[in-house]
Amino acid sequence: MDHDGPWRAAAPPGPPDTALSVRGLRKAFGSKLAVAGIDLDIPHGCFFGLVGPNGAGKTTTLSMVTGLLRPDAGRIAVAGVEVWRDPFTAKQRIGVLPEDLRLFERLTGDELLTYNGLLRGMAPDTVAERTRELLDVLGLTEAAGTLVADYSHGMRKKTALACALLHAPRVLFLDEPFEAIDPVSARTIRALLERYTRGGATVVFSSHVMELVERLCDRVGIMHEGRLIAEGPIDRVRDGRSLEDAFVQLVGAGEVDTEELGWLGSSSA
Amino acid sequence: MARVFVRLKLRLLRNGLRGNWQQTIGLVAGIVVAAPLAVAGFALLAVVPRSSPRLGPGLAVAVFVVVFLAWAVLPVLSFSSDATLDPARLALLPLRPRQLVTGLFAASCIGIAPALTLAVLLGAVAGYAPLGPGAVVVVAAVLVELVLCVAVARALTTALSRWLRTRKVRDLAVVVVALGGLTLNLGVQAVVHLTQPTSAGDLADTLRVVARVVGWLPPGLAARALVGAGQGHLATATGELLLAVLAALLLLWWWYRSLARVLTSAEPAARTRRRAAVGLIPRLVRPLLPADARGAVAAKELRYMARHPRLRVLWVMNGLLTIGLVVFAALVTGARRPELVLAALAILYVISTNALNQFGPDGGAWWTNLVAGHDPRADLIGKNLATGIVSMALLAVAAVPLAALTGGWRYLPVVLFVGVGVLAASLGVANFVSVRYPIPMPEVTTNLWAAQGIGQGCTTGLVQTAAFMVQGTLLVPIAVLVGVGVFVWWPALLIVCPVAVAYGLGLWWAGVRAGGDWLRDHQPELLAALRPTRAA
Repeated sequence: MDHDGPWRAAAPPGPPDTALSVRGLRKAFGSKLAVAGIDLDIPHGCFFGLVGPNGAGKTTTLSMVTGLLRPDAGRIAVAGVEVWRDPFTAKQRIGVLPEDLRLFERLTGDELLTYNGLLRGMAPDTVAERTRELLDVLGLTEAAGTLVADYSHGMRKKTALACALLHAPRVLFLDEPFEAIDPVSARTIRALLERYTRGGATVVFSSHVMELVERLCDRVGIMHEGRLIAEGPIDRVRDGRSLEDAFVQLVGAGEVDTEELGWLGSSSA
Repeated sequence: MARVFVRLKLRLLRNGLRGNWQQTIGLVAGIVVAAPLAVAGFALLAVVPRSSPRLGPGLAVAVFVVVFLAWAVLPVLSFSSDATLDPARLALLPLRPRQLVTGLFAASCIGIAPALTLAVLLGAVAGYAPLGPGAVVVVAAVLVELVLCVAVARALTTALSRWLRTRKVRDLAVVVVALGGLTLNLGVQAVVHLTQPTSAGDLADTLRVVARVVGWLPPGLAARALVGAGQGHLATATGELLLAVLAALLLLWWWYRSLARVLTSAEPAARTRRRAAVGLIPRLVRPLLPADARGAVAAKELRYMARHPRLRVLWVMNGLLTIGLVVFAALVTGARRPELVLAALAILYVISTNALNQFGPDGGAWWTNLVAGHDPRADLIGKNLATGIVSMALLAVAAVPLAALTGGWRYLPVVLFVGVGVLAASLGVANFVSVRYPIPMPEVTTNLWAAQGIGQGCTTGLVQTAAFMVQGTLLVPIAVLVGVGVFVWWPALLIVCPVAVAYGLGLWWAGVRAGGDWLRDHQPELLAALRPTRAA
């Protein structure tokens, strides 16, 4: 997390062998500073967890890193390609699962994957083959001919994940992939992601679930009020505590005083 | 409770306008359009009954019924029901039915359309009210008419939204709505055709006939009460007014029932069709579409035309208009003029307006295209391909029967070539407008007809009217050449075919380039503009 001098205009930011390099990333919405200057390097093959309280700027950061939201300032390089200078090359190397999960509801799961593959310029045969395999692994084969509009939340998330993986991206960005997911689907997704990082790819995901981050990630970053207040290998950030304790101490949340809510629980209605 | 709702609505509107230039401009434009209409309507109802008393009774009934029907039908046909207050947001509050309906109703009475309606109707007070107790009935009749209008708009859109919750019913209803639109259109034409009076006496007769036919409708009853009170028949007038009030109460009750059902019942689970996936690109058009990003976008568009409720309405309408055009043209001219085949081109002009907001139906899901990292021109080309395929098919559906009816086969190739030119030129404009002025579509579950906030309808209309005029202007050279070919010098028709195609494709490519290049640098901005910003 150190600035090393002014940038040479041509070279992407950060060390050459990083999956993601971010320098001076800022974004304000009106007078509210959502991301207040982030520097970050994530090495290849890493399982990186981005944690932080609600409104810390995780989603804003991931949106800017994936080209969905234009930053006010700062530079981002994914696998050596600057996202905002050469978005079209950068996007070939990125897979994205956004938080709000708006999908083309009136395509079937199979059609949605094919759509994604063809959009990315993949050969139709490759698309068909990978679509079949991904749907099979994620347990969606039976629902392949059903409109996404009729899917459950877990099915939608798995479908969106399949779309993000279809072109075998070098770096995968997942915003809250395990939120509102049943344990069975979560296990499937987890296994898939672990398999994927073993092949040398990088996964960056945000989450509220500390226990999950602790189990999956080898590196972690903690965001608070738009800043990255801690970042590094998970054992160094934890420093002998549980991740949740480390998180709460770093974010500075005190004990909750509930004395004043005496009326709560004494309802007569 | 009604006061709370009214204040909430005013606050929501004010917050919606804050920092949102589109809504502000839309509001101003709406007022600019509505103000002269209000003055004209007021003057009509205020002056005519006093200056020509014979016209008075019929006029009141006609105006009341027309205003009522406009309220009933326009929101459904134009997808512009005011959804500033989304009832779904209020479902969890412990509100009694009466509180909810009166509150929502009071809030619904705020806006440009209700203000315009009230202004017009107040003209009737000036035009019909007598001195004495009759004036009370007149004022009451006007208020009842306003209630009827607002209530029917809300009740109809809510009820339709309630019925259209399973895909199967939606399929059916959409066709019914589209047919209704066509019937209305033809009905209006028939009325205009019938009411071309040669003198004021004829007009009075026609109005009297119309009044007799539609006078039993609730708004007609309100109008008759108004006229009766003006002429001193207080007892009958009161009776008619009470019937109108009863109708208004029934409408409100219907609205409440639909609302309660929409809010408290889950959308019925669609029966999962266990069918094998058939691939993205429909088999029928597979030879026409490239297997790349352009083909993928085109295939998705074609699927959406068949599956997305709003797009389906549009295309069912287009189909019906095509058939209507053929029938109408054949009836009016007796199918004797071979040039009639050229009339089929009109259908393309209608279709091209639908293309002015090509990204709106994608909404927030468009991030899929953004992260794919393909050439943004492929988005436009793909969408144009889909529109082109269906439009040219519709053009053929209109042109071939006309050629068979009139024997104007020699005009058929002209229509097809010129059609390509007309469509391409229009899509060129539409591509630029779609990218630069995208209109988000709201995601309101209780009302399929919801439009966003107060200003959006007007902004939509403004931008689309301007684009429509540009499209029309660009087509003038083609029209002139065709005209010369038909009326002056027939070889011009041979010239117009290649010229129209080249001219249209040139404009189309300019539109693809202008739109695509802008999009290349502004993809996140387009995505942000497509995300529905809920007013509430």
